[in-house]
Amino acid sequence: MNTSYRHLRHGWWALFSFLTLGVVLETLHGFKIGWYLDADADIRRLMFTLAHAHGTLLALVNIAAGVTLKVVDGFDLEKNVSRAILWGSLVLPIGFLLGGVVIHEGDPGLAVLLVPVGAFMLLYGTACAARNLSKALKSA
Amino acid sequence: MPEPQPTPKPSRFFPSTWAGRCAVISIAWGVLMIVGWVLNSQWNQEPATNRPTKNPVGDYVSADTCRSCHPGNYASWHASYHRTMTQVANPETILAEMAGLEITAFETDYLVLEQDGKHYVRTKPEGAPEAKFTDPQEIVLLTGSHNMQICWMTSNDGRTVEMFPFAYIVAEDMWVPMTHSFLIPPEHITPYSKGEWNISCINCHVTKGRSRIVEGETFDTDVSDFGISCESCHSGGREHVAINRDPSRRFKLHLTDTPDQTIANPADMNGPASSLVCGQCHSIWNFNNADAHMEFVNENSDFKPGHTEMKLRHVPQPSGDEAEQERAAMIAKDAEHFDNSYWRDGMVRVTGREYNGVTASPCFKGGDFSCLSCHEMHPANTEATALKQWAKNQLAPDMMTNQSCLQCHENMAANISAHTNHPTTSSGSSCYNCHMPHSSFGLLRGVRSHQVASPSAIETVELGRPNACNLCHLDQPLAWAAAKLHEWYGQEIPAMEKDDHEISLAAKWILKGDAAQRALISWSMGWAPAQRASDHRWLYPFLIFELNDPYPAVRFVAWKSLQSLPGYTGYKYDYTVNDDLQKEASARAYQKWWQEQRDPRHTYQWKTLLQPNGTFRQSEYERLLRERDNRKVNLLE
Repeated sequence: MNTSYRHLRHGWWALFSFLTLGVVLETLHGFKIGWYLDADADIRRLMFTLAHAHGTLLALVNIAAGVTLKVVDGFDLEKNVSRAILWGSLVLPIGFLLGGVVIHEGDPGLAVLLVPVGAFMLLYGTACAARNLSKALKSA
Repeated sequence: MPEPQPTPKPSRFFPSTWAGRCAVISIAWGVLMIVGWVLNSQWNQEPATNRPTKNPVGDYVSADTCRSCHPGNYASWHASYHRTMTQVANPETILAEMAGLEITAFETDYLVLEQDGKHYVRTKPEGAPEAKFTDPQEIVLLTGSHNMQICWMTSNDGRTVEMFPFAYIVAEDMWVPMTHSFLIPPEHITPYSKGEWNISCINCHVTKGRSRIVEGETFDTDVSDFGISCESCHSGGREHVAINRDPSRRFKLHLTDTPDQTIANPADMNGPASSLVCGQCHSIWNFNNADAHMEFVNENSDFKPGHTEMKLRHVPQPSGDEAEQERAAMIAKDAEHFDNSYWRDGMVRVTGREYNGVTASPCFKGGDFSCLSCHEMHPANTEATALKQWAKNQLAPDMMTNQSCLQCHENMAANISAHTNHPTTSSGSSCYNCHMPHSSFGLLRGVRSHQVASPSAIETVELGRPNACNLCHLDQPLAWAAAKLHEWYGQEIPAMEKDDHEISLAAKWILKGDAAQRALISWSMGWAPAQRASDHRWLYPFLIFELNDPYPAVRFVAWKSLQSLPGYTGYKYDYTVNDDLQKEASARAYQKWWQEQRDPRHTYQWKTLLQPNGTFRQSEYERLLRERDNRKVNLLE
């Protein structure tokens, strides 16, 4: 499977998953679930919302990456760059999600440490992708 | 053939080099920072100069800082009436519709106007022409929001505020002169003068308030928080906040479940220390001396939650055998003052001073018992409706029930009736009703005594304090209660006067008692368990009679109790008007009872001072009225 397909496949499945998470959150709202909505669950609500928002957005980033790889001649991603984007767009929202499961008053759970890991992977991946794309456009 | 022109390079908004890109991003960040800084500086406006201001100093940082890390606790505090004990006045915090309010009292006409969301008060001598109105004074601070709300206005002396001399009674949606909101003699003038808030109310109605006298009655007052906020109970949080910016420290505490030594937590303290956190305000306290008072005025107390004494202040405890000397000394010094705060055995008799009662209770002697044994400040359920319900009395779950006492007195749980001699489901089997009866008064109602004690007919005879039995069985004479207490608990039967054998104690006291006794009995006549236990039908004429009481507070209580009786729900009556109008209202109420509510087939009992048809036993009624205790009662809530 080439890089483009990998990002497209990952993007659409991630989009489905994190949109589903959005529906779950709406359901928690709908049934006024205290575990999610009460004032002392403030940080949980924030973490879950961030997980949903980042997961969805990063899924779209992967779809965009897949499409770009397909339509721009000469644009490619090295294996490690592609993996950084794929894993970063998964690790970061999952860090938010798991960080909201166990909370300590105003602090999220330890799983939130996955967030900076994912963020660094994404920064690295997107910077390299931007560089590669610039090169490809210039040579075209 | 024309020479081919070079293709013009398209202008590009984004630089093609990495250096250029970094430069553009840096400039964008710079612009954002500048905009943010400008907006922030506009947001932090200069503090108001015409009222006390919020200025956290020293260890204090204010509740705003606590919110981000303790959202649940912040939410419960935010829902509490502690937070709204003092508020800056604005359209959201003023509970009443004040615009256009015209009200006359103390020989003065008051007019309230609203402009740009601010409320202003203008005054003139009663009946004087409009031209005589003074310059407007802005309403800037508010006290209370649960039972009553009081407004404070600007003066011409900087941050010194002056009282708008009326109280807004929330439940009744009515404004009354301040003198009508306390149990004080009718001839009293308004109880607060200019600067009173700055020097007195500030002591307990804000967090870390500093009166700061400029000169005379002029103050430059500031507070850490308006209202009673986090740091009142948890101590100043500056170090706690600074040190916990380090996430590794926070997570170490979270994961090891270790108490943070940089902040006080009453829930982790022993009984006396924990109770004193509440007692720093909920007590009758005095300054140790004049120097201590001045230090408190300028810098507030250095008392921190967790301390076992208040440093600049002390709480006299005149209750109990071991306090006999202190009690005698206090009575000798100022008997009237003593009687307005305590019963003669030293039990506190006014609300808001529960610490005195709690610390004199046998429960407290064990060292573990504290206010938090029954109350909680941060309930687990932070859902808005649950918080609203909790805020009414701030009791922990199940603490409205016998569970409050059974958590220690477990052995009684199996057979409550054996101890109470009442059916298990009866209100007579409620621990509270017998051991914490409504024998204290404040906020225009009877309030449970917080000194846990057993009902005693002897104390009723010797001290004039109503006992729990007669506060429920209003139709019974004192001798009946004495006999029951003797039969069930082996108490001695005291020597009693003839009336105490023949006449219901409630009927006797409502005619003959002092203003405090009349207020308590009037309140109990509106208390549902007492109405059930005593047959409510004979209560009407007494409550209607009390609509004419010389003390406004007693009239209010009687009116509220009358409203609780069938046929009088929502009954209109203005307890603030003059004697003639009161008499008229009282006569109207009596006529309504006689014609509409009195059951002509019912035989009223002789011991309730009524004839079988429901009219007063005139000679006894007049005799008891002649014997009324007319001492001036001025309960110091």
